[in-house]
Amino acid sequence: MKAVIDNLRREAVRLLANDEVKMVIGYGEGTDASRTTPYFASTPEQSAAFTWGPLCANNLAKHLLDYRYEDTRLAVVVKGCDSRGINRLLQDLQFPRERLVVLGVPCGGQLDRNLIAPEIPPGARLQGIEDTGKVYVLVTDKGRLSFPKDRFLMPKCYLCETNMPVVADFMAGDPVPSPAREGSDRTAEVNEIEALDVAARSSFWDNEFSRCLRCNACRNVCPACSCKECVFEQAVPGWQQSGIIGSKANSLPENMVFHLVRMFHVIGRCVDCGECERVCPVDIPLRLLYRKTLKDAHILYGAGTPGMSTEVQSPLSEFSPEDPEEFM
Amino acid sequence: MPRIGVFVCWCGSNIGGVIDCPKLATDAVNLPGVVYSTEYKYMCSEPGQNSIIQAIRDHRLDRVVVASCSPRLHEETFRKTLARAGLNPYLLEMANIREHCTWVHNKEPEKAQAKSLALVSRAVAKANLLEPLFPSSIPMTKRCLVIGGGIAGIQTALDVADAGHEVILVEREPTIGGNMVKLDKTFPTLDCSACISTPKMVAVSTHPNITLYTYSEVAGVDGYIGNFEVTIRCKVSYVDHTKCTGCGDCQAKCPTKVSNEFNLGLDTRKAIYIPFPQAVPNKPVIDAANCRYFTTGKCKICQKICAAGAIDYEQQETIITEKVGAIVVATGYQLFDWAAAYGEYGYGRFPDVVTGMHFERLVNAAGPTGGKILRPSDQTEPKTVVFVKCVGSRDPAKGKEYCSRACCMYTAKHAHQVLEKVPGAKVYIFYIDVRTPGKAYEEFYQRTISDGAVYVRGRVSKIYQLGDKLVVRGSDTLLGRPVEVEADMVVLASAMVSSGGIEDVARMVSVQVDKDGWLQEAHPKLRPVETHTGGVFLAGTCQGPKDIPDTVAQASAAASKVSGLLFREELATDPMISTVNQAICTGCGLCVPVCPYQAVELKTITERIPGHAPRERTVASVNSGLCQGCGACNVACRPGAIQVKGFSNDELVAEVDAICL
Ligand SMILES: Cc1cc2nc3c(=O)[nH]c(=O)nc-3n(C[C@H](O)[C@H](O)[C@H](O)COP(=O)(O)OP(=O)(O)OC[C@H]3O[C@@H](n4cnc5c(N)ncnc54)[C@H](O)[C@@H]3O)c2cc1C
Ligand code: SF4
Ligand code: SF4
Repeated sequence: MKAVIDNLRREAVRLLANDEVKMVIGYGEGTDASRTTPYFASTPEQSAAFTWGPLCANNLAKHLLDYRYEDTRLAVVVKGCDSRGINRLLQDLQFPRERLVVLGVPCGGQLDRNLIAPEIPPGARLQGIEDTGKVYVLVTDKGRLSFPKDRFLMPKCYLCETNMPVVADFMAGDPVPSPAREGSDRTAEVNEIEALDVAARSSFWDNEFSRCLRCNACRNVCPACSCKECVFEQAVPGWQQSGIIGSKANSLPENMVFHLVRMFHVIGRCVDCGECERVCPVDIPLRLLYRKTLKDAHILYGAGTPGMSTEVQSPLSEFSPEDPEEFM
Repeated sequence: MPRIGVFVCWCGSNIGGVIDCPKLATDAVNLPGVVYSTEYKYMCSEPGQNSIIQAIRDHRLDRVVVASCSPRLHEETFRKTLARAGLNPYLLEMANIREHCTWVHNKEPEKAQAKSLALVSRAVAKANLLEPLFPSSIPMTKRCLVIGGGIAGIQTALDVADAGHEVILVEREPTIGGNMVKLDKTFPTLDCSACISTPKMVAVSTHPNITLYTYSEVAGVDGYIGNFEVTIRCKVSYVDHTKCTGCGDCQAKCPTKVSNEFNLGLDTRKAIYIPFPQAVPNKPVIDAANCRYFTTGKCKICQKICAAGAIDYEQQETIITEKVGAIVVATGYQLFDWAAAYGEYGYGRFPDVVTGMHFERLVNAAGPTGGKILRPSDQTEPKTVVFVKCVGSRDPAKGKEYCSRACCMYTAKHAHQVLEKVPGAKVYIFYIDVRTPGKAYEEFYQRTISDGAVYVRGRVSKIYQLGDKLVVRGSDTLLGRPVEVEADMVVLASAMVSSGGIEDVARMVSVQVDKDGWLQEAHPKLRPVETHTGGVFLAGTCQGPKDIPDTVAQASAAASKVSGLLFREELATDPMISTVNQAICTGCGLCVPVCPYQAVELKTITERIPGHAPRERTVASVNSGLCQGCGACNVACRPGAIQVKGFSNDELVAEVDAICL
């Protein structure tokens, strides 16, 4: 892990010193021992602050959107899952490939902050992380904390499809074993919900959506949500009234419309990075919703996980004169 | 706040006999935005329309809702009414309370009353948001492209050219003429097909307004009504037609003989050939796949013989681009591949089981037998001939569901010809129905019966060879018993299907192909030669099976549509097309591939934002000449940046709300 960090810093220094990029987006030390924070370096000196490890859950791809209309080159650090988000942005024509340097990192799984935070003594300062293969050890000033990978990783890591980036101009380290669990079924959770009867399913989602604060965190973190102006933020006359479809009113029907419309907008496009679910302050299982669309797109159109390449278009974004037209 | 007037129409008893129109008018006054409402027996009548104009003036109405029939019927009528009153015609919204309500709910008037009010509320909700729309104009290129040089293409080209416009006629074969020049005589008058079609072919080649590209194909179509740019690929003929005099010496001396497609393989032609003596242009082409020089590297006899020095083995394919304002597709038909589908008829293994088109060549004085009906296997005159109709037609299991329309008549013609030319001949015709709707058609059929043709009602279940006879087994469904005929020759009236490669043509000109493979007209009754793509028209059998009279009628109809178009200096475009709100457009480009008319493209704009340097950004942009307002892009666009004018998202949501909330 140390070697990866060194490689990353060295490459960032090189890119900035040669003026190949204006800025490198990566991970920097966090506010506490359980996390890191996105870090933006614009000088070679600042590059010394880059870090990497199992506390780097954030998908940094989305930050590119803030610079989409500028003419500067940027570099961004991505894990396997994040790299699909890069392809998402490229395919959606939201960032030109020639202005982008992708710095790939090999990922052995990310620790689930909800699980590890309670184990970390308050005020502990992180001094380093060791990877023993089966266990991540956080070395802090208040002692060594061991987190076995088979219990403390984020749920999405156990289903990981690409722990190495699918797109990278530079790789900061050699491949590492995937954290995916042997023989895990990516559709298991979806199948469970599908098995419920309509009433039960409806009340399950009603219960989830009723908690939504309409804080837009899921949308803001999503690499598939790249609209300049979200449909939900356009000035519909009377936009605060309930009863106007697409209003911002915080009520169950409006929340439902928000989530279902967002779901339709990401069908066949969601790269399954799981960021929406991670950032949701009220723990709505959003990834479950989108995994359902992923499963359906797979069954109906044979679509794979979006973002694996920029070649394959989302099945709902393609038009071909050969398309079956039974419904017409 | 808009001032909406609601006008409820009784449509005589169609609406007024089911619901209480005065009550509907009274209820409508309470809808938001409505300041006036009334009812009348026939709104579309002169006094009805005048009452709308009067009300617009008296009540200062700025939006109009007419609750009557389908907008398909009278939207144009009422738009003109609004225009006459000085209002923008697009400030009209119709509520269809006839087809959508009183016609279908005439047994339940109370529910119909409530539904009518709901439909009117919907229209009023949308009317509140309507905005004036204005057509724009595009320039007109006064030339026409005709694809396909059968009788349909020929007739269209001549009519348009005679009207004074330039025509480009593209035919993929070495000659124009299509299927008609292969026919012997034509029903019901029995005039010689070549005699009536070859003069027209010559007229095409000599017409000052027609440019003819034979042995050529349309490779691409860009642009839109009034402004198409067409790429034409001229295949290599290896003969310089500007030098060639058409003497035919090369053809006579060429040593290579191959099967002659013009005579459907019934005889042979040379590797350098003019398809038939009256071909237009009357110049040969080299069939490189079979030419001895091209296959072995030695020969060049034609080059040696040609006094004009026209043979050019180095000739290259040429690509030409032409600008036109309108396109007529006249690509015609071909015959259904019966041999692949009808195992019970021998899969094409029996030489004396032929199609109607073979028969046309056999009976034709210019054909391989000099007009003597001789069967292919042993060149003897068949004494017993069986005709089988509907082979591949009206047979969804094996072929096509539809009727090919010309077969009943040409089979009667063929039967008549056998009985006339072969003394003592016996003719049996297996049929499902005999369809003779056409001037003098039934009379022609009756004459064939009195000539002695035996019509047997039923399908043929098997044909097999027995010695030098063909045994035809079928059933007579009128007598309810099996029939067996020993025949010398069997003629199958095989179905007409659309020309090979029609899908490519359809894609290039953005016309749909219907479920049977024919090109789709805009409306089966009211717009039979138009398509859904502006400036593209259909003529002849590419639109569906038909005989020559119908083909020619349709060709002239297409020509008159084209001429009407080309006489204009510019074109008003329908304003109900897509428009992009560039401020919201993220330039994702999703709308580009989903547009079936290639109307959307991405372009770079320079955006000025207060307090920032100008920046460049990519956004979608709609070509108003190409867009047909279908709305496909609209649903693809996540931020709702691209919307169809007159059907904006806000308008649609307001309508849904009005009905559902
Ligand atoms: C056996 C038989 C007998 C018949 N007898 C009679 C009769 O007696 N009386 C009667 O009224 N009708 C008769 N018909 C019907 C008649 O043949 C048709 O109505 C008529 O020929 C249709 O003309 P068309 O121009 O539409 O098509 P076609 O004659 O098929 O012409 C189409 C032309 O377009 C060309 N083409 C196709 N695709 C392309 C392309 N992509 N690019 C460029 N060129 C292309 C073709 O090469 C062809 O020259 C008969 C039909 C059959 C099968
Ligand atoms: S409405 Fe949109 S998809 Fe339809 S023709 Fe116009 S631009 Fe194309
Ligand atoms: S789909 Fe919408 S956002 Fe994307 S390019 Fe088209 S108009 Fe713009």
